[in-house]
Amino acid sequence: MERAGQDTIIATRDLSRTYTMGKVQVQALKNVTLDIRRGEFAAIMGKSGSGKSTLLHQLGLLDTPTEGEITIDGVEISGLSDSESTRFRLEKFGYVFQEYAILPEMTALENVYLPAMALGLSQGECIRKGMDALEKVGLTERADHRPREMSGGEQQRVAIARALINKPKILFADEPTANLDSASSKQILELFRELNRDTGQTILMVTHELEDADLVDRVIWLADGAVMDREG
Amino acid sequence: MTSTTTELKVSAFLAYKFIAKGNRGTTLLTILIMALAFVNLMFTTSVFDGMGDATEKQVIDTLYSNIVIEPADEEIYIKNPDSVVKKIINVPGVIGTSAQYVTGATIAYEEQSGAWSIRAVDPADERTVSLIPDMMIEGEYLGKYDTREIIIGTEIAGGHGGSLEHTSLGGVVVGDTLKVTFTNGVRREYRLKGIFDTNFIQANQLAYVTEKEMESVLGIQDMASQILVKTDTKGEEDRFLTQFVELGVHEDIKPWTVYAGIVATLTQSFDALNALTGAIGFFVAGVTIFIVIYVSTVSKRRQMGILRAIGIKESIIIRSYIFQAAFFAVCGCIAGLVIMFAILVPYFIKHPMVFPMGDVTLLIEQKAVITRSAGLIISAAIAGFLPSWRAVRETILDAIWGD
Ligand SMILES: Nc1ncnc2c1ncn2[C@@H]1O[C@H](COP(=O)(O)OP(=O)(O)O)[C@@H](O)[C@H]1O
Ligand SMILES: [Mg+2]
Repeated sequence: MERAGQDTIIATRDLSRTYTMGKVQVQALKNVTLDIRRGEFAAIMGKSGSGKSTLLHQLGLLDTPTEGEITIDGVEISGLSDSESTRFRLEKFGYVFQEYAILPEMTALENVYLPAMALGLSQGECIRKGMDALEKVGLTERADHRPREMSGGEQQRVAIARALINKPKILFADEPTANLDSASSKQILELFRELNRDTGQTILMVTHELEDADLVDRVIWLADGAVMDREG
Repeated sequence: MTSTTTELKVSAFLAYKFIAKGNRGTTLLTILIMALAFVNLMFTTSVFDGMGDATEKQVIDTLYSNIVIEPADEEIYIKNPDSVVKKIINVPGVIGTSAQYVTGATIAYEEQSGAWSIRAVDPADERTVSLIPDMMIEGEYLGKYDTREIIIGTEIAGGHGGSLEHTSLGGVVVGDTLKVTFTNGVRREYRLKGIFDTNFIQANQLAYVTEKEMESVLGIQDMASQILVKTDTKGEEDRFLTQFVELGVHEDIKPWTVYAGIVATLTQSFDALNALTGAIGFFVAGVTIFIVIYVSTVSKRRQMGILRAIGIKESIIIRSYIFQAAFFAVCGCIAGLVIMFAILVPYFIKHPMVFPMGDVTLLIEQKAVITRSAGLIISAAIAGFLPSWRAVRETILDAIWGD
């Protein structure tokens, strides 16, 4: 098997996640085995409740699988301690959530450079990198604005800039456009497309918009927690 | 940059933003409550310190001056007190001496009588060690050649609202004749020449006659029961003690503190009370901070979950809350000190509290400020730690999406 080859950034084997609620067990993921290639823009699609978010959480180290293995960038994830996992996320991952998850007390720029600050960068570097990231999402003029002064689409772009600041190996996005109007949604998706094309950013995005399928390199279809065969 | 400095920097940055850009009203209210907690902590201490200070001052000014020289063991009197005074009077810092006879006596006026202590002094000498000559509220102080004249404190005289009115002479006035029976059996009648009020219950139970008069009562001369010595500083009594011994004073030399047992007793009973009010104060401050930080962690639950998701360490988040708590406490201490110095201290200088040791104003001791503010900041830090530590216990997914 060549699954852990040079161009594979994420590999999972028999990944399962079972939620136990009292006596009821919900198998949200069933034996998921998949590879994501470096530089790939992949969408995870499927009906509501099919396990898309659950899969993203496992790959993004926000949850612990009940069974199975995950290897990311050559690292076997189950061997990481909590603090190693936190560091891993800070250095290698970027996240965009459905809700615009930025801090209301900080300006756009401060929100963006917080992860860089946590890596130990100087104030000057933080500002420079933060401005670069804001430029990528087209929000240079909004640098000093607080979230409440921005539209939903703008706030989501701030979140994307924050996700990009530490040059992540993988950008995770869970329905990033679900709360946005169609114009803003289109802008965000085009931004992802550009990032992927221009910088080779690996992107793993959960979406339930069928038309998004045309924009991405590949669609991973989930049904009842399992990957469906018909890929592409 | 080391990882610890980085973490501290991020914690401080978060704390700063939450305070500076968070809810002004909450911040101000929290600081105000901290300030009140601090004032509450400081107030009782300051009253007690003020009482201690007033007592010390009274003991020195009206009872024992700074240093007391007593007869050596087995002796009843110091023989030839002038020779003792000569030895020490030129010591730099010694600014006065007064040789006194002290004896017990029964003083009676009409049906009223009681047992008090009578001191016999040379009025001119006495003025160099005691403030009682300046505290006459009726009549006059003794003159050098007065005989058959006596001055008494208000607690003996009665009629001046003293605490011991029931044992007093019931309101004698200047010119009244007091019948005095000394412990050696001598009985004499004295004209009441003056009444003094020191505001100090102990000193107000003293009576004074002249040295001349007492020597005729006791039938002795050139002796003294004690010599009071006034020095220009307080707190250096031990240094003077050593010097006096070196200069050949063979009598018993004691600093005023030995006689200030009353101060020690007061302070001890205060200490327990003080510790109790202190504990309550720290608890109130701690609970306040706990609630404020708890509410903040609840309202920021999702945001903190997201920060953890993007790789911000839990310790950074906890520390940012501890910093906020400490900030509230520090500001509270500063605001509390401003309230103390700008409002309370001037108020009590204008309207002193009346206690048996005299008028008491607030005394803000540096030591009290340091211990109380340190205590407040530490309890705030603990109160800030608990809810934030609890908040990062839950999983990231529960924090972001849980209900
Ligand atoms: N924390 C949880 N506890 C219990 N069941 C859960 C939990 N999270 C998700 N599930 C269940 O797992 C299944 C997959 O959920 P999810 O991954 O959120 O689906 P999707 O994102 O595709 O809509 C659903 O049946 C959901 O109810
Ligand atoms: Mg979902």
